[in-house]
Amino acid sequence: MTSLSFTGIRKTFGTTVALESLDLALQPGELVSLLGPSGCGKTTALRIAAGFEIPDTGVVSLGESVITDTPAHRRNMGMVFQSYSLFPNLTVAQNVDFGLRNRKVEKAKRNSRVGEMLELVQLGELGKRYPHQLSGGQQQRVALARALAVQPEVLLLDEPLSALDAKVRSTLRDEIRRIQSELKTTTLFVTHDQDEALAISDRIGVMSNGRLEQLGTPEDVYLRPASPFVARFVGSINELPNNNGVGKILVRPEDITISEDENELTMRGTVTRVTFQGPVTIISVRVDMNDQLVNVHAASGSIHAQVGDRVSLDVTPGRGIIEAA
Amino acid sequence: MAIVNIPPLGEEGAVAQATAPSHFWRTPIDNIRNKKSLAWFGLVPFFLFLILFLLIPAISVFAQALHDEDGSFGFSAMREAISGQNLDAFIFSLKFSAGAAFVGVIFGGLLAYAAATATRPRWLRNIVSSFSGVAANMGGLPLAFAFLSLLGRQGLGTKILNAFGWDLYAGDFKLGEVSGLITVYSYFNIPLMVLVTLPAIDGLKTSWREACANLGGSAWTYWRRVGLPILAPSLLGGFLLLFANSFSAYATARQLTDNSKIVPLRISFFLGGDISIGEDAVGYSLAAWMIILMGISMAAYWLLRRRAERWSNS
Amino acid sequence: MEQLMRQSRSQRALGRLLPTLVLIASAIFFAFPLLAMARFAFQNLQVIDLGWNNLFEKWSFSSVTASFSDDFFAEALTLSLKLAVGTALFTLGLLVPTAVWVHLRLPKARVFVEFLTILPYVIPAIALVAGIVVVKPHARWFLNSDYSLIPFYVVLALPFTYRSIDTGLRAIDLKVLVEASRSLGSTWIATLFRVVIPNLRAAIISSTFLTVAVVLGEYTISDVLLKRTFPSFMAQYRQSDPRGGYALAILALLGTTLLFVAIGVLSKSRSTRPQQVSRSQENEILV
Repeated sequence: MTSLSFTGIRKTFGTTVALESLDLALQPGELVSLLGPSGCGKTTALRIAAGFEIPDTGVVSLGESVITDTPAHRRNMGMVFQSYSLFPNLTVAQNVDFGLRNRKVEKAKRNSRVGEMLELVQLGELGKRYPHQLSGGQQQRVALARALAVQPEVLLLDEPLSALDAKVRSTLRDEIRRIQSELKTTTLFVTHDQDEALAISDRIGVMSNGRLEQLGTPEDVYLRPASPFVARFVGSINELPNNNGVGKILVRPEDITISEDENELTMRGTVTRVTFQGPVTIISVRVDMNDQLVNVHAASGSIHAQVGDRVSLDVTPGRGIIEAA
Repeated sequence: MAIVNIPPLGEEGAVAQATAPSHFWRTPIDNIRNKKSLAWFGLVPFFLFLILFLLIPAISVFAQALHDEDGSFGFSAMREAISGQNLDAFIFSLKFSAGAAFVGVIFGGLLAYAAATATRPRWLRNIVSSFSGVAANMGGLPLAFAFLSLLGRQGLGTKILNAFGWDLYAGDFKLGEVSGLITVYSYFNIPLMVLVTLPAIDGLKTSWREACANLGGSAWTYWRRVGLPILAPSLLGGFLLLFANSFSAYATARQLTDNSKIVPLRISFFLGGDISIGEDAVGYSLAAWMIILMGISMAAYWLLRRRAERWSNS
Repeated sequence: MEQLMRQSRSQRALGRLLPTLVLIASAIFFAFPLLAMARFAFQNLQVIDLGWNNLFEKWSFSSVTASFSDDFFAEALTLSLKLAVGTALFTLGLLVPTAVWVHLRLPKARVFVEFLTILPYVIPAIALVAGIVVVKPHARWFLNSDYSLIPFYVVLALPFTYRSIDTGLRAIDLKVLVEASRSLGSTWIATLFRVVIPNLRAAIISSTFLTVAVVLGEYTISDVLLKRTFPSFMAQYRQSDPRGGYALAILALLGTTLLFVAIGVLSKSRSTRPQQVSRSQENEILV
């Protein structure tokens, strides 16, 4: 278990700034996700960690050692790519064996390790198959086994689930988390899918335009977004005009209380749609003040609103984040 | 808008068929009954064309080749075509074609790699592939003339080499001999190899290179265990293509030499001269043997290409 | 750590050295014969005298213009151009419907058809013409015409042209386009001309130019069959006036080069879907 840290990392490509100045430290054994839209710099950060990009300034450290200039093949990290990274001319077993051969591990140990890893990802029977004979999900499992076979100090995952079907995605996602916590490998996971990040991370780093907007636990990031960007990117958000008329207040649908009482201090509006979704009902309200549509989540059964009803909306105290104009 | 339900046979079905708009899709009955055979009908023009203008000439070659001296059916001409001086010719052609192919694979492969990985300047790759397109299809004449100008006895290149003290023609060198032919043929072999290899090199995904590095492999490891094995079918296929191309080239050879040890030239001598029926059959036999040899090479090339495509789809 | 850093930097520099050398060496190898030929063709000096000191003397196009006035020049050039156009049209008329048919109705036959298009390598020009000579007595009515060369030229160009059209078809979603067109009421012919062909423009243009290049350079068949095409004329002219022959060759080369540059430009501007028409497909157009 080793720590991984980025200090003051800056990277530009021509005139584009991919990373402004990244400071990020992963504790030994934890899984940190870098979450953000395309172009936010998350993949660049990962590739700098792997050694495929050299930062303009800044330091990358693995444990106590500085590895900023270490060539990629000398860092002891495992990487899982988005797709098509298995060597097509080698069998599954030979793929998993690859890193071990490079480290000149002796044959008997290699074979048992390969078997172990394939069992770990539940593909024990498929050692003799070739990558093109496997499904996408199976290929990614092999990629994971291959990366972990050499017992890397850090595991890097570059959107490993993006190219897979939805069903396969959620199963594999949980498996990755299971394996990671079993082996206690420090892991950096890059994704643009917030559900993934929220589900498996110890901490999430939300990024935008080369900057780390917030670094915190999933609860922190969801319930206490540090910036309007984070509030908008993670989960759904309503944008309401601020009380004092300046700027906006960003509130989650479940942080708005809805009632049929009249009250001058609250926002009034008319219900336009009621959508039942099992445990939660979504009530869409057109607000008088500016004709805006607001979505409210209410526990089903707690309020009986119908289309056309007049209701009052209020923000739960302590929730929501203010965005200056 | 496709018709999903099959209308019943009999009156209703007949009426349905009769009233269907004529420009619409074929009615489902026809679809099911004639689907397969009807589909192959569409290729008839193409097959007919190939039969008339490729197959019939080819078969005719064999028909003429299988004649004995007295004009009856027999294999004596075929046998003679690969013995004595004819055998010498085949061996000579094989030697320089293999040599030319080998040179083409090495330098063409290197050039393709250099062009594929060049990031600056941006236009470099396009120039290389456009020029390769021209040079690979360059008719024999301009090429022959160009090399006569460069490396002929009065050639400018020959003069330059003389200035450095190297007399090109001191030894066995002649444009019409092995070393000369290999040099000249490289001019279209290298570009042809580039054309065949560029797509293959593009097919080498960067993630393989990165995964290899990530797993502790150096550049050498990558090429030895991943890169070259994956490229191997394309490289071998390229060799076969270049070999076939070099063996059967006529126009260039014709301008450079009268050397009758080059099989295509030899064939044309047999065809053009004032000869008896028996010798005529030997000429056709030479062509027949050439077709057989090319057939084997191209069959192997085909198999290799299919193999390479399989990996690029994974 | 410092040492590792230095090592990897110099390793990287070395890695770029080899490709650069290869490119430079290639440039020299491919340029020199052409430059030599240009001097032979366009410098009004005795070949023996050509050297460094007279590199810039007496350049003129007289050798080329002299050939224009030769009796057979116009005849040969026109014939070759006519054959080129004829071959191009024949090729398109035969291959576009065939390729479309295979893609739409017979995907399983694709491999087989592709194999067939390799056959011209198995039966190269010299063997083909041998076969033609055999058949000649029985088909004199056809083979006497100069235009009888056209179908054989189509055969010669087949590997390149079919590959080009096939690649073009693979880059567009043929099935979907055709079904959309048909569902909106178009006949098959209308679909072919209004939907399929416009989307194949790049492939059609490139296979046309390829055909023209092949025809203008084809010597084997026309030599044996004694047809007076432009390449035959070039060879013959060189016997009497070597300088003129070389000049004509350069002319032919320039023409072909322009065509290929045009292909390169056109296929780049036309591939507006960068994710699908990858560079590898672009290059496949030529082989």
